[in-house]
Amino acid sequence: MRISGQPKRPSWSRLGMALLALPTLALANADVEKNIANSKNWAMQAGDMYNQRYSQLKQINTGNVGKMQVAWTFSTGVLRGHEGSPLVVDGKMYLHSPFPNKVFAIDLDTQKIMWKYEPKQDPAVIPQMCCDTVNRGLAYAEGKVILQQADSNLVALDAKTGKVVWSVKNGDPKLGAVNTNAPHVFKDKVITGISGGEWGVRGFIAAYNLSDGKQAWKGYSVGPDAEMLIDPDKTMTWTDGKMAPVGKDSSLKTWKGDQWKIGGGTTWGWYSYDKALNLMYYGTGNPSTWNPAQRPGDNKWSMTIFARDVDTGQAKWVYQMTPYDEWDFDGINEMILADIDVKGKPTKALVHFDRNGFGYTLDRVTGALLVAEKYDPKVNWATHVDMKTGRPQVVSKYSTAQNGADVNTKGVCPAALGSKDQQPASYDPETKLFYVPTNHVCMDYEPFKVEYTAGQPYVGATLSMFPAPGSHGGMGNFITWNAGTGKIVQSKAEKFSVWSGSLNTAGGLSCYGTLEGYLKCVDKKNIDKELFKFKTPSGIIGNVFTYEHKGKQFIGVFSGIGGWAGIGMAAGLEKDTDGLGAVGGYRELNQYTELGGSLTVFALPN
Amino acid sequence: MAPDGSVPLLTMDEVQMFRKFLPALLIFAAGSSFGQSQLYTVVDGYKVDPETMKGFRTWRAAACDRCHGANQEGLVGPSLVTSLKTLTKDEFVKTVRDGRLDKGMQSFGTSQQVMDNINQLYAYLKGRSDGAITRSKVEPMQ
Repeated sequence: MRISGQPKRPSWSRLGMALLALPTLALANADVEKNIANSKNWAMQAGDMYNQRYSQLKQINTGNVGKMQVAWTFSTGVLRGHEGSPLVVDGKMYLHSPFPNKVFAIDLDTQKIMWKYEPKQDPAVIPQMCCDTVNRGLAYAEGKVILQQADSNLVALDAKTGKVVWSVKNGDPKLGAVNTNAPHVFKDKVITGISGGEWGVRGFIAAYNLSDGKQAWKGYSVGPDAEMLIDPDKTMTWTDGKMAPVGKDSSLKTWKGDQWKIGGGTTWGWYSYDKALNLMYYGTGNPSTWNPAQRPGDNKWSMTIFARDVDTGQAKWVYQMTPYDEWDFDGINEMILADIDVKGKPTKALVHFDRNGFGYTLDRVTGALLVAEKYDPKVNWATHVDMKTGRPQVVSKYSTAQNGADVNTKGVCPAALGSKDQQPASYDPETKLFYVPTNHVCMDYEPFKVEYTAGQPYVGATLSMFPAPGSHGGMGNFITWNAGTGKIVQSKAEKFSVWSGSLNTAGGLSCYGTLEGYLKCVDKKNIDKELFKFKTPSGIIGNVFTYEHKGKQFIGVFSGIGGWAGIGMAAGLEKDTDGLGAVGGYRELNQYTELGGSLTVFALPN
Repeated sequence: MAPDGSVPLLTMDEVQMFRKFLPALLIFAAGSSFGQSQLYTVVDGYKVDPETMKGFRTWRAAACDRCHGANQEGLVGPSLVTSLKTLTKDEFVKTVRDGRLDKGMQSFGTSQQVMDNINQLYAYLKGRSDGAITRSKVEPMQ
């Protein structure tokens, strides 16, 4: 949390100081709070616990960013997609890589590698990782660097030596339960999720003690109430225009037979935490399989925003965005917490840009639905979200369930990779706007019957993707969004999907990467004003971050094409007659970039 | 899904060229000229015999497109259109059964559907590689 950037929370810093003065108090995230309060650090993947991706640093600003130069670079020695970003804590940088999940600690004084950790992992997990062998980064707390390995092992390393302090197995990779998400430290817990929605993995979120790695609680996304840590009488959801208890067997009732046991709802996104409410927030992914005919019902609580008590894991409230998914619109994208005016009323809000193309604003205290509007005008699978029931109003023509198995449903917008995927947006407390990297891609989707075999892919649909027809021909936009009204403020067309997390700064900047490999910084008050552009070694799917060292501000980003976006998508393109010029655009990515993971760090000249 | 450098060796232009020059009603009955039993039969480039149809369904069920692309032209994994020009049948079976784990190819040895239909899968993919089956999605012959 960026204290001074949050005028609506003035008591926060005083509280923080008071708690720091009481080291005996059981509040183990005091260290993380101290680290993120110091804007010289980039101590969490989003810079804070609210997922705001905002920095107080302003040495680099709208007036001088045009003079920014490369200060130093670092190769991870790994090909494939580089998501997430390094962390910076007290003059040390901690970097991660995709599989094999190397970790480097770098002394920023000398740029020398202090230690390197490279786990031995069974290569069998490589093919199990959907959409590339990415890893979204590390967590840091109390002298420990936390790594969530692909093979599901959650490991705490001594930040000074790189030695393993504890290690715990989080899932069974033999069944496709692997990990790509970054672990998050909230309070005295390390929170992590699981991947494998395309292998019939039953999703969950788990908390492990930061001190010893013991599991504190585990809450499934689907199944019996007790295993979901859902209290039928106390866990609330939006019902008929108000919050009401979910009732008994709220998940089981919405599945046919035992399908929930292989029902997905995985949890590989970015999580956020509100200390005042002691609630953590995250989204669950698609129900398994992608063939809706095999799982009639709402498939609760897949595609759902969860608010859970960090101490117990108990679900305070839930909201399902896409009941009975028919398009693979995973609900895992980040929940951004911000105190904003919603329809004129000051609100403790949760803002979420879902894969399904709707931008949601909820009351994060109660879970009440406040705003649900399209953040890409091309979204066509639903006309709107009914604000009373909270349900999207599905357009029959684009319903892959109504059209049935073995029928190709054409022209659904957005594509399965969503109007936005995992690439996290930023919130700027000065402009009160959200800065959202988006995809502008549509699809044809053909479901078919598929049998479940443990440890084998369990997908059940074939799809082809293409740029949104009847638009600017590109496959992405960088937009600003007013979450209080649910309206796009500005939209800047991009040739390719913007698959990089954005960063906003007090220097008036909003920065993001592109698939061609450009780091771009724009004027946050007018995002059409591109103030800086530099071509890094490979396409960017990492998140922009900033830190200060020895009085100098640095802005950095991983490059390394991969992920679900990238050249792969172009190669999978089926419809060479659609979109014409735009299809040329896909193939053109080959002309811009090749694989290769590296970090590029920028600063102003001396 | 990331590239590993294996961008498709067939460009879209080449695919179109194939389509243009393949006589529409030509019936392919491949394999016989090599002294084997007939691998597949295809009419109009996409209507195939029941066994080849099983091969296509297996391709789809095993989600091979996840890595090899919807058109077998490669994605994270290599182009099968290209690979099957040189890979022998035995090598193909071994690769599917045991995987090439370090390269990201999983083992399908425990998938009954794949192992029961391995010959049909090979026939379908060989037809794609030969250029006789002109599109990924095939339909049953009448």
